[in-house]
Amino acid sequence: MKRLLALIRQSLPAKLSLLIVLFAAAIFIASLGFMFQQSQKSVHQEAINRAEQVLENTVLRVTNILDRVQVATDNTDWLPVRHLDAPESMFVYSRRILVNNPDLNGCSISFEPYYFPDRGKYFSAYSLNEGGQIRTTQEGNPNYDYFTLDWYQLAKLLDRPCWTEPYYDYNPDNFYSQDMIASYCKPMKDEDGNYVGTISVDMSLGWLSETISAVRPYPNSYSIMIGRGGTFFVHPDSTKLFYETIFTETLEHDDPDRVALGKAMQAGEEGMKRLKMEGEDCYVFYKPLGETAWSVAIVCPVSDILSGYKRLRIAVMLIVILGLLLLWRVFRQIIRRELAPLGKLTSQARTIAAGEFDKELPDDGRTDEIGQLSQSFSGMQHSLVSYMDELKKTTAQKASIESELKVASDIQMGMVPRIFPAFPKRDDIDLYASMTPAKEVGGDLYDYFEQDDRIYLCVGDVSGKGIPASLFMAVTRNLFRIIAQQGKSPVEVAEQINSFLVQDNDQAMFVTMFIGRIDMSTGRFDFCNCGHNPPMMDGQFLPLKYTNRPLGLWDGAPFQGETIENIRGRQLLLYTDGLNEAENRSQEILGNDRLLELMAGAGKLSAREVILRLQQAVERHRDGATPNDDLTLLCLRLLELK
Amino acid sequence: MNKTQTALLSLLLLTAFPALAQDRFVFTPQWTPQAQFAGYYVALEQGFYQEAGIDVVIEHPTSTRPALDRVFKNESQATTLQLTQALEIIDSGVPLVNILQTSMNNALVIVAREDVDPLTRKGMRVGTWSAGFDQIAVCLSLREGLDYQWVPFSSGVNLFLAGAIDATIAMSYNEYYQLVQAGVSITDRNVYRFSDHGYNVQEDGVYMTRAYFEKHQDQARRFAEASRRGWEWAAEHPEETLQIVMDYVQKYHIATNRVLQKLMLDEILRLQVNWETGVREFRLRPDMVEKASTLMQENQLLFHEITYDELIGR
Repeated sequence: MKRLLALIRQSLPAKLSLLIVLFAAAIFIASLGFMFQQSQKSVHQEAINRAEQVLENTVLRVTNILDRVQVATDNTDWLPVRHLDAPESMFVYSRRILVNNPDLNGCSISFEPYYFPDRGKYFSAYSLNEGGQIRTTQEGNPNYDYFTLDWYQLAKLLDRPCWTEPYYDYNPDNFYSQDMIASYCKPMKDEDGNYVGTISVDMSLGWLSETISAVRPYPNSYSIMIGRGGTFFVHPDSTKLFYETIFTETLEHDDPDRVALGKAMQAGEEGMKRLKMEGEDCYVFYKPLGETAWSVAIVCPVSDILSGYKRLRIAVMLIVILGLLLLWRVFRQIIRRELAPLGKLTSQARTIAAGEFDKELPDDGRTDEIGQLSQSFSGMQHSLVSYMDELKKTTAQKASIESELKVASDIQMGMVPRIFPAFPKRDDIDLYASMTPAKEVGGDLYDYFEQDDRIYLCVGDVSGKGIPASLFMAVTRNLFRIIAQQGKSPVEVAEQINSFLVQDNDQAMFVTMFIGRIDMSTGRFDFCNCGHNPPMMDGQFLPLKYTNRPLGLWDGAPFQGETIENIRGRQLLLYTDGLNEAENRSQEILGNDRLLELMAGAGKLSAREVILRLQQAVERHRDGATPNDDLTLLCLRLLELK
Repeated sequence: MNKTQTALLSLLLLTAFPALAQDRFVFTPQWTPQAQFAGYYVALEQGFYQEAGIDVVIEHPTSTRPALDRVFKNESQATTLQLTQALEIIDSGVPLVNILQTSMNNALVIVAREDVDPLTRKGMRVGTWSAGFDQIAVCLSLREGLDYQWVPFSSGVNLFLAGAIDATIAMSYNEYYQLVQAGVSITDRNVYRFSDHGYNVQEDGVYMTRAYFEKHQDQARRFAEASRRGWEWAAEHPEETLQIVMDYVQKYHIATNRVLQKLMLDEILRLQVNWETGVREFRLRPDMVEKASTLMQENQLLFHEITYDELIGR
């Protein structure tokens, strides 16, 4: 089951076709359910009508025959009554009935005790049809005391014609040849209306039993006939005939439904009841048999009535189930076929993803969504391949550029002094500097050198970044060296560099620069700030009188220099804006305040320690963000002379 | 005659000989086979009669050869009779001896239409057996001034069911259940049980003519003993007894069924218990003989008193 679910989940055709089949099944269930319910109702009603019709016809046929007996009797009984003075004629009349009605078994014209005094107590003229031979006798005698028999007494006591209960014709020789008989009996009265005897006509009921037994509207249905006492006279189980009544079983096991059926049939009612018969749910249709007190019933098992319908229902359901299975299979095939390119595409995408970009994609000429997808995918593949080629080239170029940049970087870094201590021969100065380009090469610069007991130094920041800035920086740094080595003051150095830079500066690049000169003998510090960040002296920003303009912009107005008479023992920090304007991920700058904080406790630190501290602070502030600018720091302190 | 035939004949003679040595005894119950006579069937089938040294043959009466006729003609040595019947016969001058009394209580009932109290309908048509058994009911009708119009029927309950009569006499073990089985509603009102109203007179017993009894006292005693054993066994084994009864019923094609016979057997066995002592006593009660005799005399059913001693073989 899990495997099946997994299979369905993984396979789009299986999933789609299953959804379609489920939807179709829901529609089928709803519509078939409604149809089944409706058709069951109508089949039911149809069955009831049919059974009732069959019963009606049967009763009609039987009563027609029984009516013939009555008519035969009615047509004859006036004769004996008119000849009550001639007992011998009774034999003639009883015989005549049988002659005129060969289907009758017997006829007796019987009189009250001693009605004909000369004939004794018993006088019963009886004719019997014995296979076509009619035998007539006087049958009353002490051993055949007919006065107490039902056929005689019923007519007498009820004072109207009536049918007896069916009974077995007495045949002492062979029980099994006994025939079921019933008698139609009618009281005879003299002129004064006094009862004189009974005329009784017997009829074999073999035909009736056969007629009723043959009524089987459904394969397992059967018919029964009961008498006024509920006794079975027709029943498929012959052991019940005459021996059991419709109530017999209820004497042992309570069965109100059965009792109600029996009572209704006894009462001569006509109708239909649903109840359990022999443990099976049945419809029982019942109807009285004419003027007899008998009642006929057809017992139809409900399952039987609905069996045809149930077979049809099973067939329809099987067809639907098979249809749904077929539908599922066909849809799955169709969907699978339609989506087959997707599968190929999927596997090829996997191949492509694995690196085989030149794998050929199928083109089945489809123009639908799948075709479009395939084409898009193919286009994407082509783009990807050309992009990859491009990328390869670019990567190669970039690698070459990077290697060149690395060389450039090395060259650039080689331009600035990086050996510390900076002045190994001097013990009166502690100087440390560092330059960290944001990219491979940067636009920052610093420099320092000693000349004639004077130390020249500078920190600068070229506008822009990258290679142009680095080239400009290289030019600027060389100019600084060349000009400063001529023993010029910082102002002169600035003016000359500016003059050089202004020439042919089509790119309008410029450089901010702080140029200083320290007289090591006196501690005098001359400097010229050209648009650069103010340096920090002993942890405070050095207030500047002249900021001047950056170098390389234009000639003209002279640069102004400043002097601090003695900086011995004082800590000087030169830096580029890569320090105070270092940005973190949120593009928040480190700021001057933070810088002041950092420098506040740095008075006792060596130049190297100060720079390391600041570098670390910048690192921390950036918190992994890519450096936004080159960072250059230069720190120095003239040590007190001992 | 070949060897096989000779052997068969010898075997037949050998097996037949002990039976020939026994007394042949024809017993005729007063009605067709039914559970009313279960004890006798049991005694025969279980070999109690054989053990008692009597070769009993049970022959049921037919319409042309009623039980009493057979006894009078000595075709049958014993029959069952109700006490009131026996009294009538003795009164008519045929001395009879009760050799075994099985019934301790009266089974007679009158069943009227639903919700009709039989005692409230004077002059109504009441069905009764043409063969008798209705002496107590006649006494009731006369004593209570009910003036019932008796309608004799040969058997069954059809007259009542057809509405030809207003009520019918029935035995609580037989027709009563036939009526129930025919869908007749039994209520508190429409059934009158004689045993509940001072008419509790014993019924079935085994009788033979005094003449025969005088000559075959020992045989009569042995028959009675074995019959009593049959009844006691029946009371202890109702299921097996019912099967024996059904075998008889089926053999004689009696229009009845197992349910009816079971109810009949239960009721018959219930009637055999003295309700005062709770014991199956198998004895004629002098007080009941006296009660029956007095009742019947009062109502002109007997011309003279029949005493207990006249019924008993000494």
